[in-house]
Amino acid sequence: MEICNSYSSSSVDSTNPSPSESSVNLSLSLTFPSTSPQRARKQDWPPIKPRLRDTLKGRRRLLQRDYDTCLFVKVYMEGVPIGRKLDLSTFSGYESLLENLSHMFNTSIICGNHRDRKHHVLTYQDTDGDWMMVGDIPWEMFLETVRRLKITKPERC
Amino acid sequence: MDLRLPSKVLEHIFSFVDSNEDRNSVSLVCKSWFETERLTRKRVFVRNCYAVTPAAVARRFPGMRSLTLKGKPHFADYNLVPDGWGGYAWPWIEAMAEKSPSLEELRLKRMVVTDECLEKIAASFKDFKVLVLTSCEGFSTDGLAAIAVACRNLTELELRECIVEDLGGDWLSYFPETLTSLVSLDFSCLDSEVKLSDLERLVSRSPNLKSLKLNRAVSLHALGSLLCLAPQLVELGTGSFSDKLDQEAVSKLAQVFTELKELKSLSGLWDVLPEYIPLLYSVCPGLTSLNLSYATVQMPDLVELLSRCSNLQKLWVMDLIEDKGLEVVASSCKELRELRVFPSGADVDETNVALTEQGLVYVSEACPNLESVLYFCAQFTNAALVTIAKNRPNLKCFRLCVIEPFASDHETHQPLDEGFKAIVESCKDLQRLSVSGLLTDKAFEHIGRHGKKLKMLSIAFAGDSDLMLHHLLSGCESLNKLEIRDCPFGDTALLENAAKLETMRSLWMSSCGVSFGACKLLSEKMPKLNVEVIDEHSPETRPDSSPVEKIYIYRTVAGPRMDMPEFVWTKHKNPEIGVSHLAIE
Repeated sequence: MEICNSYSSSSVDSTNPSPSESSVNLSLSLTFPSTSPQRARKQDWPPIKPRLRDTLKGRRRLLQRDYDTCLFVKVYMEGVPIGRKLDLSTFSGYESLLENLSHMFNTSIICGNHRDRKHHVLTYQDTDGDWMMVGDIPWEMFLETVRRLKITKPERC
Repeated sequence: MDLRLPSKVLEHIFSFVDSNEDRNSVSLVCKSWFETERLTRKRVFVRNCYAVTPAAVARRFPGMRSLTLKGKPHFADYNLVPDGWGGYAWPWIEAMAEKSPSLEELRLKRMVVTDECLEKIAASFKDFKVLVLTSCEGFSTDGLAAIAVACRNLTELELRECIVEDLGGDWLSYFPETLTSLVSLDFSCLDSEVKLSDLERLVSRSPNLKSLKLNRAVSLHALGSLLCLAPQLVELGTGSFSDKLDQEAVSKLAQVFTELKELKSLSGLWDVLPEYIPLLYSVCPGLTSLNLSYATVQMPDLVELLSRCSNLQKLWVMDLIEDKGLEVVASSCKELRELRVFPSGADVDETNVALTEQGLVYVSEACPNLESVLYFCAQFTNAALVTIAKNRPNLKCFRLCVIEPFASDHETHQPLDEGFKAIVESCKDLQRLSVSGLLTDKAFEHIGRHGKKLKMLSIAFAGDSDLMLHHLLSGCESLNKLEIRDCPFGDTALLENAAKLETMRSLWMSSCGVSFGACKLLSEKMPKLNVEVIDEHSPETRPDSSPVEKIYIYRTVAGPRMDMPEFVWTKHKNPEIGVSHLAIE
């Protein structure tokens, strides 16, 4: 541990460095525990619990997201020429996305798994250009690859 | 003349003795009191699961109805304890299943709980009512399903900040239609969506439900319908507060919140959008506890909310509140007892610089009941600490985390020794203290001299030498738990104050300069302690002079533990071979 080694060698000497001296020494060799090059290890400073740490990291990712490949996507309903635009980052998951879309387009919409004749099905175009059924992949992954949404008539799928 | 009271009379008297501290004293008086006390104790607390064996506990307290256990040391919360260290719940559950099948309540903190454990609980304790798991890990949602399906009289199921293998939201649907006794449900740490219809049905058939903490995946829309079914809630943890709702839905939700007449505690509020803050105004005056640690709104919105919370006693918030926001808290929340301010960035360089020492000074001035503080901040000054100490001598818990290690007083560039001296001198009832910033040995001399009631002390990146540890171990009479990381002391203070360690529950030291030889010596000197050297990167043969990575020392009557992983050394292991003697036999 870099910080400790530079300190313990100085404390073994009879003359202890003054605080300003030692902080200069340390800042030269300072590597915070989280970035120690010795091994990949979980971050342990500042002392916050894992769930808060993950939430903060997620928030940072969201804030730094490249807004060209953005979270605003176009949504079309089959048979309706005028589309809508939707910010996917405001939804917590598939359930809330579907609820909102159902409301927006005034019809019931479901994900791919439970399809039947009555309900519209939500599909999306991914980064490859392919049209896929919404709901198969984890939400976070979906946010990374979705480009646009289409609400299709049941028979089409 | 036989002056002994008959045991029936003793039993009756002891039934009025609630606190375990008192019961422990009672049991020391004489043999017959010990016997009667142990037969009548219903709630058992074991604060270190390795301090005593499960069998011994089960034997001593045959009438046990409630068991609380703690496993890993506190620093495990910050990733300092390697995976696989220990803290397994299984031996306890197995022993209780056999010896105390009438167990009704189990509360575990920082323990490894597997699905097998949960299945065993479900199968063994016929009248099981309460399961509270805090910072536990090792189980999946399948284990939860086992509890849900089998525990017919369940009243509390709380998962607080656990790490759960999430296999989906089906587990909730395993609660039978006949279960109507639920009082508290907390699944806020799970990721998967549960089926809303199952949740709604569960809530509607639980008239005693007082506390409901949802996970992030529960949408705002779903929250509305749930709250309609449970207007009697006292504690609410919402899910994500960020879906776009139309005007009608928003006013419906606002209406629903006004119906929550009993609500005292509010949490969750993940990603809350500023436009939804007004929805909460109606519940604010009644709130005594508000947890905004996940509410990433800016200061003006936080202020709108908090200025309406005149009865607030407990506030957890992010540093987005800034000094200005804390000034408003100071003037609005006069009943405040506990304040926690968390960083809004996961890294040192992301701290919100508009939150400084001044924010805490405002609150300390204006809130007479403030007794517990946890404050993350980029920088601090001695002057602020002195002011806080003068304002609030009634502080019981003061945890300051200056995020930049070794940060000196940003005005005078001095160490924060004088500031912490003021804190320990003034706050005579201080029981818990965490220090940070640039600190020399002098700071610890002050703490040792004045911190007489101090039970728990946490230190990081501080001190100059052995003296630091010596001051603490020789001065702090009530010291129970000491945890230290990245401080530059060596062997001398530890060995000189070895006897002190038997009066404490535990001592944790990581990235300090203690040598392997000293650990071995300490082990030999103090047979009633388990001295564990935790070193993931150590070679098989370790020279005595080499500093060890981590040490965990605790008093125990259980002897060496049988479940140590290979990276934990105790004197019972052969240092050359690195294998436990006991395992060979």
